[in-house]
Amino acid sequence: MTLNSKWVPMKWPCGPAEFARLKATDADAELMKVAEAWTQPSTLQLLKGTPVNCLVVDWAAGVPWDRAQQLALEPLIHAGRQLGISFVGKVKAGLREDLQAAVAAGRAAGLEAVILTAILDDSESRALGLPVILQQANDNIEWDVTTPIFSATSKVWPGANLKTIDGNTATAGPTVDPWADADSNGCFSLIARQMAPDKTLWLDIDPPWSTDTLSAESYCLAIGDSRVYGSRWIVSLDYRTRAGMLGGDSRAMGAWTRICQTISFFENHADWEAYRPMGSLAVISDFAGENMLMSGAVLTFLNRNQVQLQVFDRTRALAGPDDGPIEGLKGILWMDDAVPTAEQKSRLLAFVKQGGLVIATSYWGPPGVTPQRENWLFGYSIYSVLNGKFVVAENGVIDPNQLARDTHLLVGRRNDLARLYNPGRTNCYSSIHPNHLNQVIQVLNYSTGAASYVTLWVNTRSHSAKLWRPNPQDSLVIDGVPANEGTDFGLPPFSVNCAVEIEKLASL
Amino acid sequence: MTMKCSRREFLGAMGMSAGACIAQPGLIRAQLVPASRVAVGVCPEYNRNVVDVLSTMFDQLGGLEGLVRGKTVAIKLNMTGNATDRLQYLTPEMSHWVHPQVIWATVHLLGNAGAQRIRLLESPWATAEPLQDFMISAGWRPEDFLNAASRVEFENTNYLGNGKTYSTFMVPGGGMMCKGYDLNHSYSECDVFVSLAKLKQHLTTGITLSMKYCFGITPCTIYGDKAPEDEPGLLPLGGRGPFHSGSRLPPKSAPPLVNPNVPKDGGYRVPRVVADLVAARPVHLAVIDGIYTETGGELPYKVGAVIKPAHPGLLVAGRNCVSTDAVAMALMGFDPMAGRGTPPFQTCDNMLALAEQQGVGTRDLRHIEVVGTPITKARFPFPPIVKSSQNRLG
Repeated sequence: MTLNSKWVPMKWPCGPAEFARLKATDADAELMKVAEAWTQPSTLQLLKGTPVNCLVVDWAAGVPWDRAQQLALEPLIHAGRQLGISFVGKVKAGLREDLQAAVAAGRAAGLEAVILTAILDDSESRALGLPVILQQANDNIEWDVTTPIFSATSKVWPGANLKTIDGNTATAGPTVDPWADADSNGCFSLIARQMAPDKTLWLDIDPPWSTDTLSAESYCLAIGDSRVYGSRWIVSLDYRTRAGMLGGDSRAMGAWTRICQTISFFENHADWEAYRPMGSLAVISDFAGENMLMSGAVLTFLNRNQVQLQVFDRTRALAGPDDGPIEGLKGILWMDDAVPTAEQKSRLLAFVKQGGLVIATSYWGPPGVTPQRENWLFGYSIYSVLNGKFVVAENGVIDPNQLARDTHLLVGRRNDLARLYNPGRTNCYSSIHPNHLNQVIQVLNYSTGAASYVTLWVNTRSHSAKLWRPNPQDSLVIDGVPANEGTDFGLPPFSVNCAVEIEKLASL
Repeated sequence: MTMKCSRREFLGAMGMSAGACIAQPGLIRAQLVPASRVAVGVCPEYNRNVVDVLSTMFDQLGGLEGLVRGKTVAIKLNMTGNATDRLQYLTPEMSHWVHPQVIWATVHLLGNAGAQRIRLLESPWATAEPLQDFMISAGWRPEDFLNAASRVEFENTNYLGNGKTYSTFMVPGGGMMCKGYDLNHSYSECDVFVSLAKLKQHLTTGITLSMKYCFGITPCTIYGDKAPEDEPGLLPLGGRGPFHSGSRLPPKSAPPLVNPNVPKDGGYRVPRVVADLVAARPVHLAVIDGIYTETGGELPYKVGAVIKPAHPGLLVAGRNCVSTDAVAMALMGFDPMAGRGTPPFQTCDNMLALAEQQGVGTRDLRHIEVVGTPITKARFPFPPIVKSSQNRLG
């Protein structure tokens, strides 16, 4: 058995393990009924005709009812496999012996893989006899032990994080006055894509607890916020939605339909996953330990400022003559305090001499250069070297938001690749076909209301583009309006996500 | 065409004013303000015709050469709000910002008239970034302005900028809100100050014309929401909320408020700040872009406002900002003599009246010579501001 990167995973909480979890939270009788019902194979009919093809179930947690859980799941797994559904079991076993026994039981029951939180060496993994999906916390991840499909837990549920200037909560909406940020796991997915290339990240995030049904838009955003940036969210429905689905409630079923449409949208455009991120700025870090914390924060703020960027692993970037991000870049943000290797320095210096910009926390350019300052840029020394510049954050990275804003200005808005007008809480991600045949800009709306009157500007000339939306799934041709060395595309109102595909690129 | 009142009317008005001045000595200065000439031009579109229309209007005002030859000219632009905010799908210059074509034409004509150096100034929202970058983020090409005349410069005046210290402007007569204001050096290092504005309304002050734009010459490092208590901040953070609400005082380094206990009402405070500013930092030339604009407010959207695109097809210019704004108000269908409670001043004091009291200029149309297209032929009535429960504007 091997891991299948085409799996579309969904959590299927049920059985004694779920009863125990619910009892611990004083859940009401209705929720217990939901857990019971979802243990029944008949519930799998809900998946008929949907893109979901892999269920994640609790298999073992090192507790007394593990065996009861496994026995309760066996009919479900059996029925599911008849329907072509794969099962992945979550195993949280403290002891190696328990782990081996639990995995052996899973293999016998028909599991195709297990999700483990314990890091095993290769021989231990092989001895299990089932493929392993290693799960770690996203803020403390060890990249070099990730499995071909790996999972990360996150505390961030994507969506609008509303704050007024004074810090008070404001009304949600696509375009309102208060300053607002949007919570997203997008940058983590971008980092994962670089740090674990050719592997598939499953994001494990449960919806926030609510006494009401979570909106369809909120789920669709969780899907979009992962798929746009190259990862997959393990679909996880709240209890009210699952209860509603059992009873045929129209709101719950409507949400489920929207969720499946959104997943199908990304499945239908799976080719976009092979597209390369576009960006005139490269952010380089080893994304480990403390560096992960700060680099992740800076990336998040750059993303919120709509800066299109590329992420590079410090340990591999610029290592060889053909391996590196130099071409097409205008700026490089060297996040870590560690200085580049001699080879990296050489390439970075060549980049600067040709007009590039390098931002770092210490100066390691050629000696004898006197730093200058800009009156609008506080806390930076600027070293001009031939046609380019080294910019040094004199006190290191103190405020990631300020560094992100300063970086954007230093690289220059003139080098923006894409920009949203009336962005509200929308954001965009640009990627390009490996052979530059077309460019796709995906737009996500993090607010609870529809995005309207959003204009996408791109730095390419195009008379028209294709607009793709999850519902309906077909494309719409939208006209481009020439605008300042690029093109404006007025986007029709959209709920959660859409994508603009531009062919025959004519970059300026 | 002129709109001068008759000698009899003028003398009659003077007689009435004399009585009023005895009762209210503050009005004496108002009556001493100079009568002025204001030009109105019809210009349906933003195209090459803009420069011709403006050229004619400046000639009707007596020409620019005497004003600017060999001088440093500072032009305060209107680029209020975020660069990414738009009214529906309209670019900002088609609704709430002065259009680059009008800026280009003005710079070009000032250059042709012999201006030695022209500085384009604005205080972009909550940022110290170079003004050119702010323009780019709105989709503009700042390099176009560099080609309009020789020695064109840009400066973001929302902070200290290129200066070493702030320049203090004391308000003649002591001021209505503050005794004086600390501003970016560019407002003192100029011989001629031009306000380049948009013809539109304002939710706080009723109208936004050449005077109200001067509200934006105040740096948020001093007058902003997060300015420090003692000295100016390094970076401009937030907006000018304290001017509206009195939520905090300017830093101790700046000239103080005349009376810290004045009402906290923005409709009282902001018109007085504006009147102070145009008295302390006189406007030598006011140009108002009313070719395309919006009705209902000053931004492309605001909670509770109904903003709609509008196309008056007009340009207005004058040497006195109060008189220019008075004519612009008349073109918008409003009475510049209106008091608080009457549109467009339903919830605010009339800043033209306050500036008139400061001796800046007259708002009385009977004392203003209107040249070019008559008001009656160019009038484009703006509806009174209505508030909506909707956030999003249509």
